[in-house]
Amino acid sequence: MADIRITRVFDAPRERVWAAWTEPARIAAWWGKRGWSTPPESVELDVRPGGVFRLNSINDEDGREMPLDTTYRDVVEPERLAFGDATVTLTDLGGGRTEMVFHTTVEMTADILRSARGGLASAFDRLSEQLEPRT
Amino acid sequence: MINQVDDQLSTTFHALADPTRRAILARLAGGEATVNELAEPFPISTQAVSKHLKVLERAGLIARGRSRQLRPSRLQGAALKEVADWVAVYREHWDESFDKLDEHLRDG
Repeated sequence: MADIRITRVFDAPRERVWAAWTEPARIAAWWGKRGWSTPPESVELDVRPGGVFRLNSINDEDGREMPLDTTYRDVVEPERLAFGDATVTLTDLGGGRTEMVFHTTVEMTADILRSARGGLASAFDRLSEQLEPRT
Repeated sequence: MINQVDDQLSTTFHALADPTRRAILARLAGGEATVNELAEPFPISTQAVSKHLKVLERAGLIARGRSRQLRPSRLQGAALKEVADWVAVYREHWDESFDKLDEHLRDG
């Protein structure tokens, strides 16, 4: 429905960016919005097509949970990782730099509504505040 | 209430999920049009276009004129803005995550 494409350039070799996506201890260190933590023991990565990609982010303040439970569609180390509706493409720029293109398609699916009610809730609270009539 | 927001957005997203309806909206972005004018570029009947217009109207994406014969349709911006806001929220989620990824990669 709506395409989201985010391009980032990291000061890190492509293998390290790949490891940050595919090793449980590493992905746990960065996954999720600010104010959310992902316990390493919640992470389960079976990095091959059809394999599970699971983790659980927890809100630092109120303990709300935002689980991710999806599967990998395409795994081409160290350049392409596709899971759920998202695809991550890594390009070696040389000089120890890596370009990451993240692409996903937003559809108002039951899954997204569920995660919206759980995890994206803080953002949704702000959105609903914007949408509700002010008095 | 969050559920009302979700329900309204669900209706809007459903309306936007169809390529013909998106094409109709794109056409209306250029100005209001009647059912016949809207049907012209599509290999579908005016009845089919009318059905699409009803879905778009229910989602609040268009408004239709009162004139019984022509009932020209025109875009309503507010519902589209809700969708854009929602997508921005989703995008922000990833943006913040990737800021943390950048920090993680710098840390070692």
